[in-house]
Amino acid sequence: MTRWLAQLRSAFLSISHRRRAERDLEDEIRYHLDLEIEAQRHAGLSPDEARHAALRAMGAIEKSKDECRDLRWGRLVGEFLSDLRYAGRALRRRPGFAALAIAIVALGIGANTAVFSVVNGVLLKSLPYPDADRIVVLRTTSVKTGEINPLVTLANFWDWRAQSTSFEAMATYRGAETPVTPGDTAEYARHATVDVQWFGVFRVVPAIGRAFGPADLVPSNSQPVAIISDAYWQSRYGGDPGVLQRTIRVGNTLRHIVGVMPQGFQFPNRTDVWTPQTSRTASRTSHNLLAVARLKPGVPLASANAELSAIAARLAQQYPDSNEGRGVSVARLQDQLVRDVRLMLYLMWGAVGLVLVIACANTATLLLTKATARSREIAVRTALGASRRRIMRQLVTESLLLAIVAAAAGIALAYWGVQALVALTPADVVRLTDTRIDGGVLAFTLAVSLLASILFGLVPALHASKMDLAEAIKNGARATSGSRSIRTRGVLVVGQIALAVILLTGAGLLVRSLIALQNVTLGFEPANVLVMKATGVRSLAENNAFFDRLLPRVAALPGVLAVGATSVPPGDLTLSGDGAYRIDHLIEERDHDRERHALFTIVTPGAFAALGIPITRGRDFNETDIENRPLVAIVNEALVRKSLGDQDPIGKTISCSWDRKGPMTIVGVVGDARERNPGLEPMPDCYMPYRQHPYNGNTLNVVVRTESDPMALATPLRRAAAEIAPEVPVAFTTMEATVAKRMAEPRFRALLFAVLAAIAGCLAMAGVYGIVAQAVEQRGKEICLRMALGANRTAVLKMVVGQGVMLSIAGAALGLTGAFGATRFLETMLFEVTPLDPVVYLSVVVLLAVVAVAASYVPARRAAVLNPVELLKTD
Amino acid sequence: MSKPTDLVQGTLDLLILKILALEPQHGWAIAQRIRQMSGDVLQVGQSALYPALHKLERQGWIKSKWDVSSTNRRVKYYTLTRTGRRAVADEAANWERLAAAISAIVRAT
Repeated sequence: MTRWLAQLRSAFLSISHRRRAERDLEDEIRYHLDLEIEAQRHAGLSPDEARHAALRAMGAIEKSKDECRDLRWGRLVGEFLSDLRYAGRALRRRPGFAALAIAIVALGIGANTAVFSVVNGVLLKSLPYPDADRIVVLRTTSVKTGEINPLVTLANFWDWRAQSTSFEAMATYRGAETPVTPGDTAEYARHATVDVQWFGVFRVVPAIGRAFGPADLVPSNSQPVAIISDAYWQSRYGGDPGVLQRTIRVGNTLRHIVGVMPQGFQFPNRTDVWTPQTSRTASRTSHNLLAVARLKPGVPLASANAELSAIAARLAQQYPDSNEGRGVSVARLQDQLVRDVRLMLYLMWGAVGLVLVIACANTATLLLTKATARSREIAVRTALGASRRRIMRQLVTESLLLAIVAAAAGIALAYWGVQALVALTPADVVRLTDTRIDGGVLAFTLAVSLLASILFGLVPALHASKMDLAEAIKNGARATSGSRSIRTRGVLVVGQIALAVILLTGAGLLVRSLIALQNVTLGFEPANVLVMKATGVRSLAENNAFFDRLLPRVAALPGVLAVGATSVPPGDLTLSGDGAYRIDHLIEERDHDRERHALFTIVTPGAFAALGIPITRGRDFNETDIENRPLVAIVNEALVRKSLGDQDPIGKTISCSWDRKGPMTIVGVVGDARERNPGLEPMPDCYMPYRQHPYNGNTLNVVVRTESDPMALATPLRRAAAEIAPEVPVAFTTMEATVAKRMAEPRFRALLFAVLAAIAGCLAMAGVYGIVAQAVEQRGKEICLRMALGANRTAVLKMVVGQGVMLSIAGAALGLTGAFGATRFLETMLFEVTPLDPVVYLSVVVLLAVVAVAASYVPARRAAVLNPVELLKTD
Repeated sequence: MSKPTDLVQGTLDLLILKILALEPQHGWAIAQRIRQMSGDVLQVGQSALYPALHKLERQGWIKSKWDVSSTNRRVKYYTLTRTGRRAVADEAANWERLAAAISAIVRAT
């Protein structure tokens, strides 16, 4: 132990005094050499001969120095430290080169660190619940098509729960934006109704107060209760410790707060208020609940799936009317949450990975050039007894040092990059807030840096170790810069171009998709439309009266061009009513006909004008379309095309599976609007007047077309609403913002790929430039001779530029082949563009050709203006 | 000419210790002394000498001191330590035994 400590101490001392120790060693051996020379001269040799004889007699100086260093601080550490010191000196000697190489690698490592921290936070890190990998979701499936519906019916769920043995706890829940009044002002809050077993599924109990119990589920025999999130407790109740004595109005029900969830627990989807699920009517047909469960320890997912599928098959036999063809599937909650973003994140990861490979290849070429320039130095060291292995290790250490410094810079870059990424990533990416640079990410960065240093360090090192010594010492820099080095660099440059072409093609496809998406005919005019969502919380009559009084007041505000209200404004994904319809027929009880399927929307008169949806035939709804008048409807052209063809739609009747009120007479036709997503074709639409379907009118979106900035009207609108009914919460957005939100993801993808492709392209072209420039330098004499022998400048230019262009052609050919295969992964993200879009491929080739010629032309021009006399004089 | 690597393992250490037992010396002088005393049979190059010296120093058998030579240069002198002095006796005895053993075998034929 003490011996070990003493060694450690001496190692430490020698490290801290290593500079002095190194000088001492140098002095000691130099003195020896001088005395030896002196002795040889005494023996009668000339000074030169004496020196040679002395060196011979002494043996390999470097080797013995190394051995002495080894003795100083343990062999490996010693060599590593001396390599490191040497590497540091080597890099410092060429600050420009070092800065460039570090910047390139730092860019690659920084981008990878930033993207990995997102991938890690969103995809890889497990959810913050105990044994989170045992939490699963239960979903309804279609046995025939395998289609998955995340929603389940309560009756089926109860049977699953009663008959299965795979789960510790199973719960249903449903989340929505609900009007909530914590104090005096009404607002929208994320609200979820949950089953009692909910807490068992997540293994979570309120930090203050209690969880829901079975008694809370029976509405009649207990007072209504609610649990709030820690964040909500802090922001709305000021962290009041007496919060359990206080109440919260959820919808129209005053509830006692019985618990506050632990900090950070907000499932599902940033929920702030939980209430018990008191519904007792167990339907087998309405799929309107989500279901989660916790697997028992040791039960694999597959066996839980098998068990539930068997139960579902039994239920299908038992209740063929509702359950025929319906199955169930179990998936991990985490997989379900990230399902929609997984592909995008992996693509992002792949793209930055390619950029890093390009950066490494680029740095390898740089190092190769430097290694060539340093060949004399390396040769001398080899001649002095340093082994090849040692030289290689030396060069790899240099790359390692480079990579480490670059990693440090890269991490700094990533801190900034993560913020940018999180800010740019579409907000609906789940768990984005979990993104941070933590230990795991740093470990990844370290691993990537090591890998990178090997990638870009090994090629030049292998090259150097195969060097012909005698040649190198004789000729210096030029000896190894012959064809072999050029060929290796050529291969590296071609590889870079190929990878850059793949990225450029991907970026091109995504950008073209985005342009197509932005140019799509929306069917409505989003500019200058304010959307105010409002939810009445009282009786239906009172809620209807609220909107009836509000709309005329809004219409009278200055700057308002048109006003109306709709149950689902375009671009809104949160609410959706869709189902089967029939023309001139009554709808049947169970109509699963996917062929005649429409979106149902409740609107007030004026809504089409406010949204800018043209009425192409017939009329808009008006004040006469009220409850006890004949039922009317307006359909869109897509529905007419699909079901009526050339017949006149006006006067036909339509029945919908919406509220089964009976056939409605079609009084008008409106243009097609992209209702949900600008990227989806318009569906058949059936619009119904609000006053004839009043019980769907608790929540409406007031749409206001304004003369100028729509948001300027938010304050007067809010005031008008509060004057009529202060308990009604309102929330504002604009049509433009909603559309932009739907475009956010494609825009983000296109932007990210474009940036990465630009970086990749620049690096690859720097490679082309570098190799052409080096060739010009080396072939300067040849070029001068050619010119002296009568070749004109154009011919020289052509020859040199041709070399760069040849590399680019090879790289482009390789890259395009790769792109053919790789762009398939983008297919689901493309809009009106195929993965093999000829315009994109052609543009990439043309772009590459132009840039490649430019990159080669600059050094080529230098060749063309070389002064033969000057150049021939230098050697 | 016998190179140090041909020496029996550990022999160079003994030779160095023996030389230093006479008086403190610097590296080159140690090599010279070995050559002279062996009648030019043993020539020790620096490539073996310095690693051996540094190793002995680490073992604590010898210690070093920087001094200034008559030609005004920094010179590193090595001196035997107390443990080194004890070690010389042991090592020498070991060598005698070994040499006698080898001789016995060599002569027997």
